[in-house]
Amino acid sequence: MEAKFLISGDTAISVQLGDEISLDVNQKVRGLLSELTKNPVTGVTEMVPTYASLMVHYKPQVIRFGGLKGEIEKRLKSLEGVKDEGGIVKEIPICYGGELGPDLEDCARFEDVSVEEFIRMHSEHEYYTYMLGFAPGHAYAARFEELFHFKRRESPRVKIAGQSIVAQLNLSNLIPFPQPCGWNIVGGTPLTICDYSKEDPFLVHAGDWIKYIPVSQREYEKIRSDVQKGTYRVKTYTKRAEGGVK
Amino acid sequence: MGIIIENPGILTTVQDEGRFGYQQFGVSPAGPMDTKSFRLANILVGNDRGEGALEMTFQGAAIRFEEENIVAVTGADMSPHIDGQPVPMYQAVKIPAGALLTFGMTNGNGCRAYIAFAGGLDIAPVMGSKSTLMRNELGGMDGRKLEKGDRIGFAASKNTLPDMQLRKLKPEIFQKMELTLRVVRGPQDYEFTEEECRNFFWYGAKITNEFDRMGCRLEREEPLHHIGDGNIITDGISFGSIQVPPNGQPIIMLADRQSTGGYTKIGSVISVDLPKLVQSMAGYKVRFIEVSIELAQDLYVRQTEEFDRLDDRLNGKR
Repeated sequence: MEAKFLISGDTAISVQLGDEISLDVNQKVRGLLSELTKNPVTGVTEMVPTYASLMVHYKPQVIRFGGLKGEIEKRLKSLEGVKDEGGIVKEIPICYGGELGPDLEDCARFEDVSVEEFIRMHSEHEYYTYMLGFAPGHAYAARFEELFHFKRRESPRVKIAGQSIVAQLNLSNLIPFPQPCGWNIVGGTPLTICDYSKEDPFLVHAGDWIKYIPVSQREYEKIRSDVQKGTYRVKTYTKRAEGGVK
Repeated sequence: MGIIIENPGILTTVQDEGRFGYQQFGVSPAGPMDTKSFRLANILVGNDRGEGALEMTFQGAAIRFEEENIVAVTGADMSPHIDGQPVPMYQAVKIPAGALLTFGMTNGNGCRAYIAFAGGLDIAPVMGSKSTLMRNELGGMDGRKLEKGDRIGFAASKNTLPDMQLRKLKPEIFQKMELTLRVVRGPQDYEFTEEECRNFFWYGAKITNEFDRMGCRLEREEPLHHIGDGNIITDGISFGSIQVPPNGQPIIMLADRQSTGGYTKIGSVISVDLPKLVQSMAGYKVRFIEVSIELAQDLYVRQTEEFDRLDDRLNGKR
């Protein structure tokens, strides 16, 4: 698809790079974001990557719509032939079931598998973080293997706990703060997903990969106490590049 | 030393220009609803125009000054008084130590008032901003609206400013009952037929009482109809974006808007018209007029240049 330059008021432009939710399209969004970070356009105030678009906020007193569109077009051209460089995978401990994951057994039943098998399906694969949105640090992440079949619950909950991990289809989101939610809760992480007091408040950034690591209730509590003491370090590894020119 | 809140009013928060650079992490920018009144208040007292100020809603606060300072009050008219004496608005005014600055209900001319304090407020920035985002308990005074007994220090209070007699503007008269807002189409006007787009501009809508810092819900007699189901692949939202969810009733996104959303957006209210909208109230009628992006940006730049000239004239800076 040709890039579309959509007017989003007099101070923002939405650059739409595809019309589907896919890794391919999102990597184009990340590519343009990285190009505009390396070769910035004067007057651009901030950029917000989403599934298939990059929102570019700007100051009209510095650059107008037409001028900015031209600058972005130039950078899009230099994007062709950019290689997929793999990415960082962050290991997120998760304690499945019990009070932290009240819907785990229902979910296993929906899939017609044992709880153990359900946990394996949910935790064995890496998830890609398409974007952050809805609340500070709220990650929209998806895996590409062994998709579930169930969607949302019939009636949403008015409030679910922060640090919940929720799932539907191929998606599994990290919930930073208490919020209303219609998704099924499969577990909880002992990690703080958004901590305003940190220099980088956000556990996961858009473009990061996530690997869930199942932990017992006891391990959960140990990690939680290390997190609170400030001694816990999130483990990461480098994802092998799928290779090829995108 | 600074101020003590003796009565917080209905909804008084600390706001600076906004928290920019964090929308990619899902953080709403917050900031003032009426950016024009906010900037004018800061310029009048010689501040950087994005400095932290207080935003009061419908009914203002009672504020005890522990220390002398110069303030300017702009926006809605909530009849400001010092120790029983009326205080002029849109003017730099010296408030003596010990005085009580009080506000009442708005008299109907606007609904949000701003107080800027010379030298600014001593509020620790969170992610680079003093703005309060109540929904996420972020920034300002512990992420919440002001309460009785809150104490906020002055960053660098002043007992005088150059040319005090020139620091005066004509108060704004806000439109009542019926507003006309100019709109640039997009980003998803193509999700509506041409006829439906014409209907959007032809027939007005009413402001409902679901109107807060996050957004303003409108009610149309005949809901708008989408070509599809009204959902899109989630993309970015800006100040003034007009979302049309599947029910066909538009929502105009304001200061505390979410950074991203999955509803179609038929257009955006242009920046220079947003102050009119945020100073209006439930029950007002709104009409939309389509303008080009070029005109919207000409008007934006013209307004910025007016602020620059005023700043230059009063404070000798650019």
